Amino acid sequence: MKGFFKIFAGALAVLVFLIIMGVNQSADASPAEGKSVFTAKNCGGCHLTAGPNTDKTFEDKLKRKGPDLWFAGSKFKLDWLESWLQNPKPIRPMEYNSIEKKNAGNHAKLSATEAHQVAEYLNSLISKDVAEKVIEDGKPNIQGKIAFEKKQGCYGCHSVTKAGKVVGGLTGPSFVDAGKRLRGDWIYAYLKDPKALIPVKRMPTYVGVLNDNDMKAVAQHITTFK
Amino acid sequence: MLKRLTYTVLAILFVTVFFGIDKSFAASAEVNYKWYCSQCHGLKGDGKGVNATPDQPVNPKNHTDTAEMAKLTVSDVENVIRDGGAASSKSTMMPPFDKTMTSEEIKELVPYLSKLCNCKFK
Repeated sequence: MKGFFKIFAGALAVLVFLIIMGVNQSADASPAEGKSVFTAKNCGGCHLTAGPNTDKTFEDKLKRKGPDLWFAGSKFKLDWLESWLQNPKPIRPMEYNSIEKKNAGNHAKLSATEAHQVAEYLNSLISKDVAEKVIEDGKPNIQGKIAFEKKQGCYGCHSVTKAGKVVGGLTGPSFVDAGKRLRGDWIYAYLKDPKALIPVKRMPTYVGVLNDNDMKAVAQHITTFK
Repeated sequence: MLKRLTYTVLAILFVTVFFGIDKSFAASAEVNYKWYCSQCHGLKGDGKGVNATPDQPVNPKNHTDTAEMAKLTVSDVENVIRDGGAASSKSTMMPPFDKTMTSEEIKELVPYLSKLCNCKFK
């Protein structure tokens, strides 16, 4: 009987050890592992990961099947990436590059382990064009709110939540819960120098339209959408 | 003689390449309209673009409305595209395009809009 308990305790210890190792392995996923998953699933068939984007014409842009990810680590929050990859609900109401077809919501879904690994990989894709720690994410900014809603009609193209209801246009990526998804530094960098990040797009440029303070304020305001 | 011929060929090549590249960057009025304006004003210009959702504070202008569009001057049209709705005491939902399209491209949209409304601007 004593021998049985010894074996049982030993097996339990091995099991606990294996579980801990497994969890640790998952937590320490390297970008290289994520890159392997990304490549194996042919994610690069739709997403550009080696920037910068060199598109020059609308035709160049229309050849692209999905949003660029070569700056994903500068743009997205790691937690959001991992969670979204496991449950990919449409961010764009319309199909990528289309103003006629609705987004079918058929993005590939990853397992928890794959999502963790790919998120780590995407998080490693940083753009030198995005300065860090310029915007204080999540902090309310009234100047940004005024610029977003009154000076410019940003929600004409980007849907937002107003009084618990989703309103606004559909051609831009949705800003519902955008604060969970986007880094303010990326929004500001994009507004400041859109061509460096997305050279051809349907959104008008706001360089010379919004001043630098307004751009920072708008970026900060968007990060409060949660 | 051969030297002169070489220079001439090089000059022709340079001009062709230079203007060819330049041209490929500028889009026609119809292409620009369908790329930018149609998001709100619709591909046919009827004001029923995909962004014209029921909760928007204003409806995008119907560019096929002959009577309404004929009230505008060429300057009205150019100004609202260039500086946005706010500069013409209209809605800020219409963004300014002066940093997005060239001055020429904005001017070229006027005859295209005239075609859509089947009208002549004052």
